[in-house]
Amino acid sequence: MDERTLVDLLKQGDESAFREMVETWQDMVYNTALGIVQVPSDAEDIAQEVFVQVYQSVSSFKGDSKFSTWLYRITVTKSLDLERRKKRKKRFAFVKSLFGDDNQAAIHPPDFQHPGVQLDKKEDAAMLFKAIKELPENQRIAFTLHKVEGLSYQEVSDVMNATVSSVESLMHRAKVNLRKSLEQHYRQTR
Amino acid sequence: MKQELNRDEWMDRVLNSLDGVERAQAQPWFYTRLMARLKKEETTTWERISGLISRPSVAITSLCLVLLMNVFFLLQSDSDNSINSVAQTDQVVESESLIASSSSFDYENITP
Repeated sequence: MDERTLVDLLKQGDESAFREMVETWQDMVYNTALGIVQVPSDAEDIAQEVFVQVYQSVSSFKGDSKFSTWLYRITVTKSLDLERRKKRKKRFAFVKSLFGDDNQAAIHPPDFQHPGVQLDKKEDAAMLFKAIKELPENQRIAFTLHKVEGLSYQEVSDVMNATVSSVESLMHRAKVNLRKSLEQHYRQTR
Repeated sequence: MKQELNRDEWMDRVLNSLDGVERAQAQPWFYTRLMARLKKEETTTWERISGLISRPSVAITSLCLVLLMNVFFLLQSDSDNSINSVAQTDQVVESESLIASSSSFDYENITP
């Protein structure tokens, strides 16, 4: 089924079209969310939220961009929303910990292991994901979409509503910042 | 010098550790869980609406609004009625005078 037919059927409320859409893009949405939030249960939650939103607002999809680009945009927005909510909770947990209510898991989450990373690279990738987490939002999104989802700079620019040159610039700054962060870690550990 | 080389090599290795990463897959039965959530969302939307309506502040405000509208329409219909009754009285007077004039005319016509 081509994209336009699928979208038309979705707009008519066709359940089998909705199922096909979910099964086609669930891994893409889940992997993108996982790359950003780095917690499997949160990524699952976001993926569900994304498809709920698609179900509720597919009529507003005008077809100006590819359907997958629209899905990526919703996923990124939802992931960043969850990050912000978690940051607020984390701050609150920190304040609570000052008063004796200790919740270390909320303050210092464990290192993230992406399931798709090759076995011999697991440790390095965990280190990289930790450094990615420290990047400014735009750099983090560009880097994650390019490296984890394997999108080209053109595709990343479509998702981020930016020009290809600004994505290139974001990627360059992300790599510089990651090097700084890794260098700091190197000095502390060796 | 050797340590710097080691450091750069290590950083390059870490930065390239995501090369060839495979896409993570959603947990099995994702669609089933999603449908359950969609159903729940629909229920919670209605619950939210009924919850909003049953809030005392919202309920009292709506009740006051309905009462105010009733009073407004009642007053408006009263004023309409009074205008109508004035118009009706005028009509009655007019028709009475017409009867009176016609009767005087008739009376005048009877007399030779």
